[in-house]
Amino acid sequence: MFDWAKQILKRFQPPPNWRVPVIVLAGIFTGTGLFVFYTSRAWSYVSDDPATCVNCHIMRTQYVTWHHSSHREQATCNDCHVPHDNIVRKYYFKANDGLRHATIFTLNTYPQTIYMHKPGQRVVQENCIRCHGNLTAMVKANVDLDTILAGNGKRCWDCHREVPHGTVKSLSATPYGTAPVPKTDTPNWLKKLIK
Amino acid sequence: MKTPLSEKIAKNPWIGWALFLGTMIVVFVLGLLAASIVQRRTEANLMNTPRYKIDEFEPRNEAWGMAFPREYQTYSQMSDTLFRSKYGGSAFRDLLDEDPRLVILFAGYAFSKDFNQARGHVYSVVDVHNTLRTGTPANENEGPQNSSCWACKSPDVARVMAKMSPADFYKTKWSAMLSEIVNPIGCANCHNPSDMTLRLFQIPLKEAYERMGKNVESLPLNKMRTMVCAQCHVEYYFKGDGKYVTFPWDKGLNVDDIEKYYDEYAFADWIHPLSKTPIIKAQHPDFELFQHSIHYQRGVSCADCHMPYVTEGSQKITDHKVQSPLNNMEASCMVCHKQTKEELIKNVYDRQDRVYTQKIVLEDLLVKAHIEAKFAWDNGANEKMMEPVLKLIRQAQWRWDFVAASHGASFHAPLESMRIIADGIEKASEARLQLSRVLATLGHNEPVPMPDLSSKEKAQAYVGIDLKKLKGEKEEWKKNVLPKWLQLAKEREQNMPLPERIM
Repeated sequence: MFDWAKQILKRFQPPPNWRVPVIVLAGIFTGTGLFVFYTSRAWSYVSDDPATCVNCHIMRTQYVTWHHSSHREQATCNDCHVPHDNIVRKYYFKANDGLRHATIFTLNTYPQTIYMHKPGQRVVQENCIRCHGNLTAMVKANVDLDTILAGNGKRCWDCHREVPHGTVKSLSATPYGTAPVPKTDTPNWLKKLIK
Repeated sequence: MKTPLSEKIAKNPWIGWALFLGTMIVVFVLGLLAASIVQRRTEANLMNTPRYKIDEFEPRNEAWGMAFPREYQTYSQMSDTLFRSKYGGSAFRDLLDEDPRLVILFAGYAFSKDFNQARGHVYSVVDVHNTLRTGTPANENEGPQNSSCWACKSPDVARVMAKMSPADFYKTKWSAMLSEIVNPIGCANCHNPSDMTLRLFQIPLKEAYERMGKNVESLPLNKMRTMVCAQCHVEYYFKGDGKYVTFPWDKGLNVDDIEKYYDEYAFADWIHPLSKTPIIKAQHPDFELFQHSIHYQRGVSCADCHMPYVTEGSQKITDHKVQSPLNNMEASCMVCHKQTKEELIKNVYDRQDRVYTQKIVLEDLLVKAHIEAKFAWDNGANEKMMEPVLKLIRQAQWRWDFVAASHGASFHAPLESMRIIADGIEKASEARLQLSRVLATLGHNEPVPMPDLSSKEKAQAYVGIDLKKLKGEKEEWKKNVLPKWLQLAKEREQNMPLPERIM
């Protein structure tokens, strides 16, 4: 029944004299992988908790300005910045954008002032309408990004420029704003031992 | 791929080596990635670390200001006493002068001598020196007040309490700490010096929560932005002879719950000299009444309105000029409310006017009740007759004070304020009804003659306060006695090192 699986396993089995180093290496590989998973709090990126977004400290300004806005009580980062029409698109977009952010942050290639790229703008525009549809319908603002880019409308935040992050947004704009700080890797039992 | 990998490697050993090296490289790069993640997290932590090493008990606000100049600058702006709203603000207001009824209601208690609108935090120590309520103690064993009074006035309190237990601290006379407690309410009262997170250092608050079986140690940030204010802006009392500062929350935070708590202890702040009522003094139950606020229920914290975010050039900071939002409506109210400023001010004053009007109705009833009760005593009433009357006066005055003492209540919680005052009016009316029966029994069926209480002077003369004498003594004390203690404090602080630069 599992013959085919055994066949595949066999293919990857190292010759007897190679077995030990390969097992050790595979262990190191998996262990390091697990450590990366742990230290980056990878599991938290599935959640909707804004504290996760400030894991990258360049997002502090965004976090702090949101935390001082009236959207704080109603909307988390993800309520506006990821799609909500279906779960597949939501997590595909989240993964996509998350990896893009992680790469840019890791390689230190982020700008001093962060602007949304087009896919992000599309999603935010959708989400403004998702919550404020009853309002936007009245002013014929229920347009998607393509219509706007074609010159037949405006983005919500072309007028509502202060919502919700204010207009001061550079990385150094909120030097002492209180935002959640990522917790240390060292578990408490280890700290006590070291003491 | 029919031949297994091992056979291939047996033929060409380099494939084995390539596999080995390839895996090693992947592990190495993974390690680099892990190191990078850890490093970036350390960066995030360092970003919030002050560039100066501030001592855990550093009481001097200007020392903290070295690390946080912008915040300190806005904090210092609290010295401005220009703003006057309809009922509050930071301007000097002699509340006894504005409402002489208070002199009668607080007769026999220090508040009848001197009661002014509180100014900004930066005046917390100076105003305690200045007020007639603290008297003129000639040495550290004299004076009307205990050090319990200091509990909420300065970050020095924590510094001193690190050396002596809270109980020992509260036991000392107020004057004993004049040379120790000199810095006004400031940074250390709310902030952790190591990373500037919010912290609670008020022991009474922690103890109150412990007794309720709740934890105040790890609260979400936005709750903390309220709780740091709840360290002081609450109802409290001095328990027992040790004057132990205690929050009466064991049965709940509502006006009726707190009253039950006090009644169980048969507690009274003082016995009213006119009516002989055992009175409970309410002390600014702002946090308790804020629970009934629609803003609180919608998740707004104290700091959201009283310390809003402001833009300074290219930066945004929390405005540390803690003040009435009416003086800063663009940043305070209009972040959420899109109405015009005039409209919003009208909304605030509409509520305050109504609560204020009814508050005065209750005050009038209470003043009359106290004076009528005195008349009854003078005409031979006995304790058995007066007991139900005094109970009602106590209940009515507690309700009046609960709203009146919390300056923000009329806006924070207009509905609850009105409910409390309505209750108070009912109780005060009932007290006067019973008093008229007592008086009838004693053979009096006429209105009780009322003294002229139209001004602060007349009211104070009626309760026997010689304001001129008190003021003269205070001036004398400030000129000849106080400077000695302040000199001691100065010498002590000269030996305290300033924070050192660490980054």
